[in-house]
Amino acid sequence: MGVCLPLAPSSDPGWLLVEEGFTLAREHEIESIFAVANGYIGTRASLEEGSRLSQPGTFAAGIYVDDRAPEFGPALAVLPDWPHLQIAVDGDRLSMESGPLLEHRRMLDLRQGVLWREWRQQDPSGRITRVRFLRLASLADQHVLLQSVVVTVENYSGRIEFVAGLALPDAQRERVALTVTRDSETVVVLAREASVAMATGSALQPKSEAAISRQERATEHVGEHWTWEAGLGETARLDRVVAAYTSRDVADPADTARAHVAIMLERGVSALTRAHVEAWSRRWNAAGVQIVGDDEAQRALRFAVYHLAAAANPAHEQASIGARGLTGQAYRGHVFWDTEIYVLPFYLFTDPPAARALLMYRYHTLGAARRKANAHGYQGALYAWESADTGEEATPRAVVALDGRVVPILTGEQEHHISADVAYAVWQYWRATGDDDFMVDAGSDILVETARFWASRARMEADGHAHIRAVIGPDEYHDTVDDNAYTNNMARWNLDRAADAVAILERVRLSDWKRMSARLALAEDEPAAWRRIAAALVTGFHPDTRLFEQFEGYFALEDVDVISHRSCAMPIDVCLGPERTRHSKAIKQADVVALCALLWDEWPRAVHEANFNYYEPRTAHGSSLSPALHALVAARLGDGALAQTYLRQAGEIDLADNMGNAAGGVHIAALGGLWQAVVFGVAGLRLREDGICLDPHLLPGWTEMRFCVQWRGRVLRLTLAADSARIDVEVDGSGELTVAVVDGPACRGRPGRRYAVSREGLAWGAWREADA
Amino acid sequence: MMASPTLLVPLDGSPKATAALPVARGLADLMGATVALIYVGREALPPGELLDRMRLSAEDVRGLVVDQCGGSPADAIVRAASARHAILIVMCAPARPPGPSYPFGSVPGDVLRTAPCPVVLVPSIRGRHPWALRQLVLPHDGTPTSAAAIAPTAELASRAGADLVVLHVATPGAERPAEPGSFVAPRYVDQPQHEWPGWEREFLERVRGAGHPANIEKIRLVLAQGEASAAILEFTRRNGSDLIALAWRGSLEPERARTMRRVIRDASCPVIVFRVRA
Repeated sequence: MGVCLPLAPSSDPGWLLVEEGFTLAREHEIESIFAVANGYIGTRASLEEGSRLSQPGTFAAGIYVDDRAPEFGPALAVLPDWPHLQIAVDGDRLSMESGPLLEHRRMLDLRQGVLWREWRQQDPSGRITRVRFLRLASLADQHVLLQSVVVTVENYSGRIEFVAGLALPDAQRERVALTVTRDSETVVVLAREASVAMATGSALQPKSEAAISRQERATEHVGEHWTWEAGLGETARLDRVVAAYTSRDVADPADTARAHVAIMLERGVSALTRAHVEAWSRRWNAAGVQIVGDDEAQRALRFAVYHLAAAANPAHEQASIGARGLTGQAYRGHVFWDTEIYVLPFYLFTDPPAARALLMYRYHTLGAARRKANAHGYQGALYAWESADTGEEATPRAVVALDGRVVPILTGEQEHHISADVAYAVWQYWRATGDDDFMVDAGSDILVETARFWASRARMEADGHAHIRAVIGPDEYHDTVDDNAYTNNMARWNLDRAADAVAILERVRLSDWKRMSARLALAEDEPAAWRRIAAALVTGFHPDTRLFEQFEGYFALEDVDVISHRSCAMPIDVCLGPERTRHSKAIKQADVVALCALLWDEWPRAVHEANFNYYEPRTAHGSSLSPALHALVAARLGDGALAQTYLRQAGEIDLADNMGNAAGGVHIAALGGLWQAVVFGVAGLRLREDGICLDPHLLPGWTEMRFCVQWRGRVLRLTLAADSARIDVEVDGSGELTVAVVDGPACRGRPGRRYAVSREGLAWGAWREADA
Repeated sequence: MMASPTLLVPLDGSPKATAALPVARGLADLMGATVALIYVGREALPPGELLDRMRLSAEDVRGLVVDQCGGSPADAIVRAASARHAILIVMCAPARPPGPSYPFGSVPGDVLRTAPCPVVLVPSIRGRHPWALRQLVLPHDGTPTSAAAIAPTAELASRAGADLVVLHVATPGAERPAEPGSFVAPRYVDQPQHEWPGWEREFLERVRGAGHPANIEKIRLVLAQGEASAAILEFTRRNGSDLIALAWRGSLEPERARTMRRVIRDASCPVIVFRVRA
C-alpha cells in the first residue's frame, strides 16, 4: 500500500471551498477564510513555506498581549507559526516562485474541518515534486494540532529535507512584547494573564527501508530537520503533532504539552484524525442546515456553520469570541455585543454548553463591569463596549482617519446597550435550556447587576417619564442621542426580566435564592423599583404611526437618499461627511429593526411591518452586522425577495472574491446573523415557555430546508417543505415539548416520535403523528 | 565598462518643449542614466544651429548626448528609444486642446501608445525650473493590475529618498473592480477605530508585497473621495507633489483612460505613465 495522507478530502464538492492556483494579492483573505480552529486554538491557512505576503497567525482563545501602543488595548497574542515547513530538494528550497508552478490548490473541507493543499512544482533544474498537505485543529481534543505532508519525487532521485518548527513571525516580534523560551521541543509564550506552551513531535514514514531519517535541533526554529534520500518516484510522509496548553489549563503547560504530544504519537495519527472527523460529524449532525434549491445559500450557510463551530469552546469560561474569531488579528480579538446578540443564538440551539461558556465569560468579567459603572457614577454593571481577557474597557478613544483627521471614538463612553444585550442573552439561554443552576450561580448576578445599572442610568424627569440620555444605539452614525429606542426598550426589558428572574427563583429555588439574594445584597424593594422604572421609561413609540422614533428628534432630521448611496464605494458617513450624516436620517445598521427582531413577541406584526418599511430604506448597511438582520425581519414579514437579497449580501461579506473584506479574519457576527436569518427568519423559529414555534417562509427557489435545534435537552430535527407547505419534526432526547405553528396548531411532541403538519388552503391543518 | 542607461528627451524646437529638461536631469541623476536629447525636424542641422533650433545653450546640454532625426515625430521618437534601449522618455505634455481624444490624438499620445518604456509627461508651465523628487504620488485603484506600477515607482522613490504617497480615491457610484485580489475602500466599517487602521495596514502590505519591500521606506496611504482625476489633481496641487505615477492598461476607447487624460492635461507636476498588462 502506497504512502498517503491519513485522510482523504470529502467526496462531495459541495463541502469544499477551493482556491485553484495561487493569487498572491488574495493571500490574506484565503488565510482567513480557510482557517482551521476548534474554539481553543485557531490557525490561519498560510502557506507552509511562506510568501511575500503571508500573514501566518495562530491564536488561543482568551490569550492577549499588551500592545506597544496601549491606547489600542490588548491584542490577541500571535503564537508560534507551527505549520511552518520548508522543503528542500538537494539543497534548493522548494518555492512557487522558483520554476513553473504545475498545480496548486488549497481546499477547506468544511465537513471534516481540514485544510488540504495540493502542490506540484517544477524547479529550475526540471525536477518535479508533488506535495500534499493536511492541516487540522482537532475538534476531538482541543489541545491538538496536526500537520501531515506527503512528498513524491516524480522524475528524479535526490535528497529531500524537511525543516519544520515553531516560528514566531518576524512582524510579531516587532509589534508585541513577548518572552519566548526555547528548548528542543517546546516554545513557551508569556502573554498578559497567562502563558502558552506549544510542543511538537514528528514521525517520518519513508517508503524504503534504505531511507535515512535524522533529527537535530534546527538553527532558526525550534523543531526538527529531517532528511530523506528519495529514490525515483518514491513517496514519504511526515506527520507533525503539536500540543498547546495554557497556564489557565494546567500548572505546567510545557510539561503537559510535551507529554500530550508523546501520547498522541503513541496512539497514532490515524486515531487522531478519526476522532477529529467523528467530532465534526457530530457537530454537523447537531448544527447543519440543508437547503434544497439554492446552492449559493447552502454554501454560505455551511461556511457560516463551519466557522461558528470552530470559534466556540464549551470548556473555556474565561474567553469569549472576538470579532474575527480565531481566524485573524483584526479588531485585536476584542469582544463586542456581537457575541451575545449575533453569535450566541447559534450555540443556544446547537451547542448549549458553548452558549453557557460564553455567558460565564460575562459572569467572570462582572467585576470589571461593576467598576466601569461605578467610574461613571452608576450602580450595577456596565459592560465594556470592547473587552479582552479581563473585561476592562478596551475601546480606543480616537482614531486617525485616512484623510488625517483625528476622529474621537465615543462608543466606549456612550454605547451602553451592551449591558441589556448581555442580559438578553442570559434570559434566552435560561428559556432555551432550563438551566436553573446557571441562573442561581451566575445568570441572576448578571440580570440583577445590569438591572441595577439601568435603574441608576435612567432618570425620572419632570414630565413623569424616565429618560436615558446621551447614548449611542446600534446606529453609530448618531452619537450623544437621547432616548434611543433600542437602548430604552432593551433596558426596560432588562429591568422587567430581572424582576421576573428574582420572582421565579424565589418560587422554584428558595434556598438558593436566599443565598443568591444575600450574595447580591438584594433589597426587598429592588425588583419593584425596577418594574416602576421600566414602566416609566420612554419607549419612543408613536401609536398613530406604529413607529418607534429611533431617538428623540430623529423624525425632524434631513431625509437623504440612502438607497442610491448603497452602491457608493465608501460608507455613507464618508461620502456625506460625518456632520451631515449625523444630522440626517441615514442610519448605519439595524437599530429599530434590531429591536423588532429581538423583541418580536412584544408587539404585533403591524408594528414590525411599519418600522421595517420605514427604516429599511434609510439604512446604509455600513456595518457587516446589518444585512443578516434585515434578511431575518424581511423573511418573517414574508418579503422573500428582499430577504433573499439581504441573505446573499450577508453571505458575500467574506466569500466574495473581490473585496478583501476577510483579510483580517472572517466576520463571525455576520456569520451568526446569517444563521439566524435562516433559522429565526426563514424558518421563523421562536421560543415558547413550553417549547418552540415556527413560522416558515421559504425563500424563492427553496424547495426544502432541514435543520436541527435543541431545547431543554430535547433534540428536534425539522424539515420544512415549500410545495406542500409542510413541517416535519422528529423529537429526540428526554421529555416532551410543545411544537407549534405561529397563529396555528400546536402539538405535544414526545421523544422517538415524528410529527407533521401541512397547510390546507390558507390555514394549517392539524398536527398528526407521522411514520418514523 | 557597463553602458549607462539612457533617458530620451525629444525636443521639437518649441520653447515649451525644453520644460522636460530639468525633470530629465533630475531623473537621470537618480537612475545613474545619461540624458539623450533628440531633435525631430524636417532637415538635418549642423551642431551650432541644432542648439539654436532646440532653444538651448551649450551650457544647457553639458553632459548630455544630442542627436537629431527626421520623419514622423512619434515614430522617430519611439524608434530612437528602442534603438537606445531607453529606460524612460521624458517629454513635454501637449498643450491643452479641446476634445475627448486628448492626449491620444497628439504626438505624446502616439508615443504613449507605442513607447517601449515608461513615458514622463512634463507640463510646459513648469518652464526650466529645477526639479527634484521629494514626494511621489501613486494613485492606486486597488486592483492587482494597477499594482504592477508599484515596483518601478517604489524604486524611484527609494533612490530619491522621497515620500511615496499611495493615493486611493473612492468614487461615489463607481463600480467595485471585479479583478480577483482587488482591495478597495471597505464596504463595511463596523468599528472605525479598528477598521481604518486595519485597512491602511492591509493596503500598504499589499503595496509592499507588490513592490520591493526593502526599498520602500517612506510610504503612506491617503484616502480621498470624489471623481478620481479631480481628487488626484487636488491632492498633488495642495501638497506640492513632484511626480504622479499612473498605471495605464493601454485602453484607447473614448470612455476609457479618462482619469489619465485629465491628470496629464491638468497636472501641475510631471506625470510618469507605466503601461501595465492586465
